[in-house]
Amino acid sequence: MSSADSTTAAEQPTTSSSGSAPPALPARLRALGSTTALWIFVVDILLVLLFGALSENGSFLTASSFRVLGLDAAEALILAVGISLLLGAGEIDLSLGAGLLLSSVFGGKVIIALAGSGTAVAAIIGLFACLGTGAAIGLVNGLVVTKLRVTSLIATLATMGIATGIANIATSGTDLSDIPASLQDDFGIRNLIGIPLPAFIALALWLVTWILFRSTRFGLRLLALGSNRGAAERSGLKVDAHLIAAFMLVGAMAGLAGFIDLTRFATTNLAGHQNDGLAAITAAVIGGTSLYGGRVSLGGVLAGTLLAVILQDGLVVIGLSAFYQLIAVGVVLIAAVNLDQRRTPGGLRLRLRR
Amino acid sequence: MSQPSDDTPDGPPDEHVLVRSAPGEPVISAHGIGKSYGHVRALHDVSLELRRGEVVALFGDNGAGKSTLTKCMCGVVTPDEGHLETPAGPIELHSIRDAEALGITTVHQDLALAPDLSVLENMFLGREVLATDWRRLLGVVSRREMADRADAALSELRINLPSVRIPVSDLSGGQKQAVAVARAAMWSNAGILMDEPTAALGTTQSDIVCELIRSTADRGLAVMVISHDIPRILDVADQVVVLRHGTVAMARPSSEISRRDVVDAMVGYHEHVGGHR
Repeated sequence: MSSADSTTAAEQPTTSSSGSAPPALPARLRALGSTTALWIFVVDILLVLLFGALSENGSFLTASSFRVLGLDAAEALILAVGISLLLGAGEIDLSLGAGLLLSSVFGGKVIIALAGSGTAVAAIIGLFACLGTGAAIGLVNGLVVTKLRVTSLIATLATMGIATGIANIATSGTDLSDIPASLQDDFGIRNLIGIPLPAFIALALWLVTWILFRSTRFGLRLLALGSNRGAAERSGLKVDAHLIAAFMLVGAMAGLAGFIDLTRFATTNLAGHQNDGLAAITAAVIGGTSLYGGRVSLGGVLAGTLLAVILQDGLVVIGLSAFYQLIAVGVVLIAAVNLDQRRTPGGLRLRLRR
Repeated sequence: MSQPSDDTPDGPPDEHVLVRSAPGEPVISAHGIGKSYGHVRALHDVSLELRRGEVVALFGDNGAGKSTLTKCMCGVVTPDEGHLETPAGPIELHSIRDAEALGITTVHQDLALAPDLSVLENMFLGREVLATDWRRLLGVVSRREMADRADAALSELRINLPSVRIPVSDLSGGQKQAVAVARAAMWSNAGILMDEPTAALGTTQSDIVCELIRSTADRGLAVMVISHDIPRILDVADQVVVLRHGTVAMARPSSEISRRDVVDAMVGYHEHVGGHR
């Protein structure tokens, strides 16, 4: 950064503010997620090589192993991308895992009910059921936060419990088992040019969200809401509408992840998604996204998600318990945030500002 | 008026040209303004006029009514008595938006900048310029267009920044103040109200902001500055209004008075010694 000449405004009459020579590279790096994301990417690559070296016959470095990695990463990435929207706006959503679960339950029931009228029809309507369920939870979150003035931490803690409860009641606590297995081959575990379809979708969503933050009015306004809520209000932004839209969008992403989960395993997983929401927040924060709003790193979201997934799969491949992943991710989380606070002058500021 | 609405971001009212008409033309005037909060009378029978090209310094001790008067003039507070007037006739302001529609913007003491956004994003927050092609439908903004306009507005006020694309958090206190003023000037075609523009700044930065206040007025805008920084603001002001206990204790051209006169009026010195100095 060029802070040398930035200390004072000018007295000379003929000073224009630089527009002709924008600092292209630094700006682009900043958009990529500053250096935190890059460091995590480096760690990702080192871990892949490490696990490759430690696994028998290098089995971690095979195409099929990467496909599993891609499938595992797809749902996690979608949730992490979603949470970055809300973190950028200075809000949080703990209900993503529960939203994923409830969406997969409702979507699954719809698919089972429509199975007679053809798998394709059932799948498409099931997809919309998943998206709708997720968006509805998001709408509730948004309304509770904006209209009832409950902070998003509390609001989504509540809806997390509510959605989990509904999912268990609707299924009587038993996972759905009549999902047509053909959905797996057609969608859930389908490969396109050797890459799992869900991974494609997750990457596309990641890219779209990156563009959203980088180039669209909606993205800029979300960041403004997270950076200085009062200023955003005084600039005439419709704060409530933006927040509700963001919560719904994120909810719909959880619904999409629920559909992918459903079609990948051809069943629901009532016991399996409690930590998904927290894992998404962890991945985003590891990559340099601020919990306090205004600062999002999509590169970091990708790197942080991959880190968690690589650790999880890699540890299993080399014969260690996957529970070590939880420990490793926790340690990396603390280290990454600490590094971030030291390096960026804004680290402390972000906290003091509130 | 020409103020763009939320959904149709346009350029500044007159693109790149801050001078809108002859100096001296009144922009807004207050006539016999009174405002009470419960039993507390914050303002009583206050009148003043803001004219193009002029800097009005509003001095007064804490609780003298400076903030309330400013809030009345930018639409945050509706006065109980008296009225506001523009050259077009009497008006009522019910929100900041109303004042902005008249071309009157406010630079708050906290500046209302988003530190994580770039200078240009802050200057266009709520009035983003969209791309002109199909991407407009997706809400894609045109950074180049916004950067050009922000550059023009900044250079017109002789504000020098390394780039309009760096985050506001990377700027010094004086530069942040300058960005807030430039934003206000960009979206104003009549007047700017500034609340304590030098309060948070060191000596050098305060001097620079004072120059900026002067050049804003010289561009044809009416400027009202609330301040405790009497010597500095007195230097750039054309008119001085001193409030005391909610009424106008003094209103005179700055050329006719000294720093001492201002302080005397603020503390009510001549009231104690019988009205003569």
